Amino acid sequence: MTGFQNVVAAGLVAGAQIVTVSVGGLLLVGVMRKVRSHLEGRVGPPIHQPLLDVRKLFTKQRMHPEQASWVFGAGPVVLVATAVVVAAISPLATTRPPLGRSADFFAIVFVLLLGSVSLALGALDTGTPFGGMGSSRAMTIGALAEPALLVAILAMSIPAHTSNLPVLVRMGLAHPEMIASPARILALGSFVVIILAESGRLPIDNPSTHLELTMIHEAMLLEYAGPDLGLVTLGESMRLTLLLGLLVNLLVPWGVADRPGAVSIVIGLGALAGKVALAGIAIATFEVFTAKLRLFRVPELLAGGFVLAVLGAVTALVVR
Amino acid sequence: MLALVVLAVPFGAGVASAVAPWRRWVGWLCTASIGAVLVCGVGLAVRVVHGPPVTAFGGVLRVDALSAFMVIVIGAIGVLATWQSVRYLDAELVAGRCSQRHASLYSMLVQGFVTAMLLAVVAGNVGVMWVAVEATTIITTFLVGHRRTRGSLEASWKYIAICSVGIAMAFLGTVLVYLAALHVGHHEHANLDWTSLMAVSHHLDPGVMRLAIALLVLGYGTKVGLAPMHSWLPDAHSQAPAPISALMSGVLLTVAFYALLRFKAIADGALGVALPRALLVAVGLLSLVVAASLLLSQRDYKRMLAYHSVEHMGLIALGAAAGTRLAIAAVLLHILGHGLAKGVLFLTSGEILLAEGTTEIAQVKALLARRPALGGVFAFGLVALLGLPPFSLFVSELNMVRAETQVGLGWAAAISLVCMAVIFGAVMSHGRHMLFGAGPDGEQVHKTPAIVTAPLIGALIGCAILGVLAWPLAGLLRAAAQVVAT
Amino acid sequence: MNGPAYASTLELMSGVILVCAVVTLWRRSLSAVVKALAIQGFALGAVALILGIRQHDAVLIVVACLVMASKGVVIPTLLGRVVASDPSSREATPIVNVPASLVGAAALTFLAYGATQPVVALIPTTAGRLVPLGFATLLIGFFSMVVRRKAISQIVGLLLVDNGIALVAFLATAGVPLLVELGASLDVLLAVVVLRVLAAQMWSKFGVLDLDQLRELRD
Repeated sequence: MTGFQNVVAAGLVAGAQIVTVSVGGLLLVGVMRKVRSHLEGRVGPPIHQPLLDVRKLFTKQRMHPEQASWVFGAGPVVLVATAVVVAAISPLATTRPPLGRSADFFAIVFVLLLGSVSLALGALDTGTPFGGMGSSRAMTIGALAEPALLVAILAMSIPAHTSNLPVLVRMGLAHPEMIASPARILALGSFVVIILAESGRLPIDNPSTHLELTMIHEAMLLEYAGPDLGLVTLGESMRLTLLLGLLVNLLVPWGVADRPGAVSIVIGLGALAGKVALAGIAIATFEVFTAKLRLFRVPELLAGGFVLAVLGAVTALVVR
Repeated sequence: MLALVVLAVPFGAGVASAVAPWRRWVGWLCTASIGAVLVCGVGLAVRVVHGPPVTAFGGVLRVDALSAFMVIVIGAIGVLATWQSVRYLDAELVAGRCSQRHASLYSMLVQGFVTAMLLAVVAGNVGVMWVAVEATTIITTFLVGHRRTRGSLEASWKYIAICSVGIAMAFLGTVLVYLAALHVGHHEHANLDWTSLMAVSHHLDPGVMRLAIALLVLGYGTKVGLAPMHSWLPDAHSQAPAPISALMSGVLLTVAFYALLRFKAIADGALGVALPRALLVAVGLLSLVVAASLLLSQRDYKRMLAYHSVEHMGLIALGAAAGTRLAIAAVLLHILGHGLAKGVLFLTSGEILLAEGTTEIAQVKALLARRPALGGVFAFGLVALLGLPPFSLFVSELNMVRAETQVGLGWAAAISLVCMAVIFGAVMSHGRHMLFGAGPDGEQVHKTPAIVTAPLIGALIGCAILGVLAWPLAGLLRAAAQVVAT
Repeated sequence: MNGPAYASTLELMSGVILVCAVVTLWRRSLSAVVKALAIQGFALGAVALILGIRQHDAVLIVVACLVMASKGVVIPTLLGRVVASDPSSREATPIVNVPASLVGAAALTFLAYGATQPVVALIPTTAGRLVPLGFATLLIGFFSMVVRRKAISQIVGLLLVDNGIALVAFLATAGVPLLVELGASLDVLLAVVVLRVLAAQMWSKFGVLDLDQLRELRD
C-alpha cells in the first residue's frame, strides 16, 4: 500500500475506533443502567436513552454562570478532545492502531488525566461551594489513584521490556502465559480498583446519587447545562469505555485484529464491544451489592490498590 | 534401650494419672517416675562418658554426654517439682480452687511436659528436637493457665503468642540449615540428624547459614527468655503454679538453650566463631542489662525471681559465646546449679504464697522470725542464686568469666559483673525486707512440715557439694563440653 | 507438567498466598480475614501439590492434601466459630491505620527480597526465585501480630507466619522429612486449638476479645 493509502486506512481505523467508543460508550452506560434496574426489580430506561439524552442536550441553550471564565467552557471540550485522541491511538480494535508508536501507556494515562483535571478546573471556576467541594474530592481521589496506576503500568511494562501499549497487547496475544504471571494479575487487580475510582463508580462514588453532600463527581457537573453537559456526559462515557477497553485487551486480548484488513478490524470492534459490555455488566452487578464507602475510608481502598501494584512491580522485577 | 526407658517411664506415669482419679498416691507415683528418670540419667551418663553415644530407633534418639547431662538436670529438678506438686494439689483441692478432674489434668500435663523435654534432649534429629520443644510450649500454656484467674489467662495468652512466633522462626532456621545441607557438593542424602549435619558443617553455604543462625538465635532465644524476646517470661513464670514455675524456670529455659548450643556447634563449623559469638554476646548482654534495670523496681517476689532467670540466661549466653571447653563446662554446671537453686526458690515462694496469701514483697515481712524453716530455706536459696560460695553458682560464674577473658570477651565479662552487682543489691534489699525484722507480738512461730522442706534442703546441700567439689560430675562435664566446644 | 505451565502456575499460587496476606491487613472485617486465610491454605496446598507432581514424589502429594485439609478447612472453621461468637468482629482501631500498614507491608516485601538473596542464589530454579514471597508473608504476619488489637488478629498473624515458613520449606527443600512435617503441622493445629480455647476463656472472663483489656500484668 502506498503512503497515501496508509494514511487513509489509518484515518478510517481511527475514525472507526472513535465512533465506536463514543456511541458505544453511551450505549454501555445505558446497558449498565438497565442491568442495575433489572437487578433492583425495575424495568429501567431503554438502552439507547443516553444517546437520546445527549442529543436533547445539544439542542438546548448554552448557559454559563456569570462569574465563570473561559475555563468553565474549556473543561468539557478538553475532556472530550483527550478522550477522542486516546480512542484514536489505543489498540482497541487492532494491535496496529494509527500513531501506534506514540501510544505509550504512561502518555495515554497522562492524557486522560488532563481531561479529568480540566473538568475539575472548570467546576472550580464556577465559584459555587458544591463545585469546589466536588473538585477537591475528585482530585484527592485522583491523587491517590494515579500513583497506583503508574506503578501498575510499571509492573506490566517490566516483563515486556516496553511500555508501548500496542506492543503489550501483541505480546499478550503471542504469549498467553504472560497474562497469568503474578505480576500481570496483581497489576490488573490494582487496575480494576483504579478504574472504579477514576470513573466514579461504587464503592467510591455513587453515579446516581441526588444528595449533594454525598456527591464527588456529580457535584462538579451541577452548573453545566445544555451542550456543555452533553459534552461532559459524552466525555465521561468515553473515558469509562476507554479504561474498560484497555483493561479487557490487556487481560483477554483474543479478538483484537492482528492483521490489517477491514474484516478483521470489524471483528476486532465487535470483540471489543462484547468484552467491554461484559465488563460493564460485571461492574453494574457489583454495584448493586455494594454500599458506598465513607469518604475517609476511600484512602484505605486505594492504598490497597497501590500495594497490589507495588507487589506486582516487585514480583516483576525479581521473578523473571 | 535406656534411652527408651527414660522416655517411657514418665509417659506411662502420665497415662496413669490421666486414667485414675487424682489421689495422693498418683502424685507420688509421678514423683517416683521422675526419680527413675534421674537414675536412668546417671546410668546413661556412666555409659557415655567413656563409651560411644547410645542410640535407639536408628538414630532418631541419640544420647551423648551432653544429652545425658541434660537428662540428669531434668530428672533432679523434676523430682523436686513433682514432690511439691503433691502438696500444691492437696492445698488447692482443700481450698476448693481446683476440682479432681483439674488435678488429674495437671498431673497428666506435668508428665507430658517432662516427657517432651526429655524427648528434646535425647533426640538425635534436630527436627524431632524442634517438635518436642514446640510440644512443651503447648503443654505449658495449659499449665500456666491452670489457676484460671484473669492474670494467668493473660500470662498464658502472651506466652503462647510470643513463644509460637519464636518457635516458628526456629523452624525456619532449621529448614534453612536443611536447605544448606541439601546443597552440599554431592551429598544427596542429607537429613536432619545432628551428627550428619556436624559432619558437613564446613561445607554449608555461609550466606544461608548466616540467615539461619540469626533466626535460630532469635527463635530458640525466645524460649530461653533472652531479651528482647523476654516479655512473656515475667508474666508466665509469676502466674503459673509454683511447681510449674520451678520446672519452667529451672529446666525448660535451659532445654531451649541446649537446642541453641547444638545449632551453635553447626554454625561454628560453617561460619567460624565470629558471628555466632557476636549474636550470643548481643542477646546475653541485653538480657543482663534489662534484668538489672527491671529488678530494682519489682514489687512481686515471683516476678523478681523470673527476672532473675533472665539474668542467668544472659550469663549462660555469654558463657556459650566464649565457646571454649572451660566455658561450656562452666555453662553446664551453671545450668544445673541455677536449676536447683531457682527450683528451690520458686517452690519456697509457692509455700510462702500458700502461707501468706500474697505475692507482694511489701506484704511479706519477718519470715525468719515467723516461719523459720521456710525463711531459712528462702534465705539460703537467695544466697545460692546470687552466686555466693560455697554454692556451685559461684564456681560456674567464676569460670565463665575466666573463659570469657581468655577469648577476648573481657569487656563483656566486665559489663556482666557490673549488672550482677546491681542485681545483687536489688535482690538483697528485697530479701532483707521479706526475711528480717521482728514478727508481730503474740503470733506463734509456724512450723513447716519436714516433708516439704526436706527435699528443698537436700537440693541446696547438693548445690553446695557441687560448688565445693565437682567430683561426681567432672568427667561428665568434660565429655559434654567436648561435644559442642570449639 | 511442562515447563511454562508449571512455572506460571507455581508463580500464580505463590502470588495468591502473598495477596491473601496483604488482604488480612487491608480488610477490617474479621470474617473476611478468616476467608482470606482459608484461600491461602488452599493455595499453599496447591503449591505442594504442583511440586509433588513435578517431582513425582508421592509423599509430598500426601502432605499437600493434609495441608489443604488442615490449613484450608479445619483451622479457618475453628477461627470462624470464634469470630461468629463475638458480634463486634471488626478491627475498628488498629494501632497503625490501614493505609500506613499497607505501605508497611510493601516495605516488608522489599525487605524480604533483600534479606533472602543468599537463599535465592543457592537455588537457581523457578521454585527458588519464589522463596522471597514466603519470607514476605512471614514478615507481614509478624507485623500483623504487632499492630492489631483483636485476639483473633493475633492468631491470624501467627498463622500467616506459619504459612510463610511452610511456603519457604516447600519451595526451597520440597518439604522437610515427613516426620518433621507431620509434627510441625500437628503442632500448629494444636497451637490454634489452644489459642481458641484461651480465646473462649477470655471471652467468658473479660467479656471481650480485645487484647487491650489484657493490661493487668505490667512492670
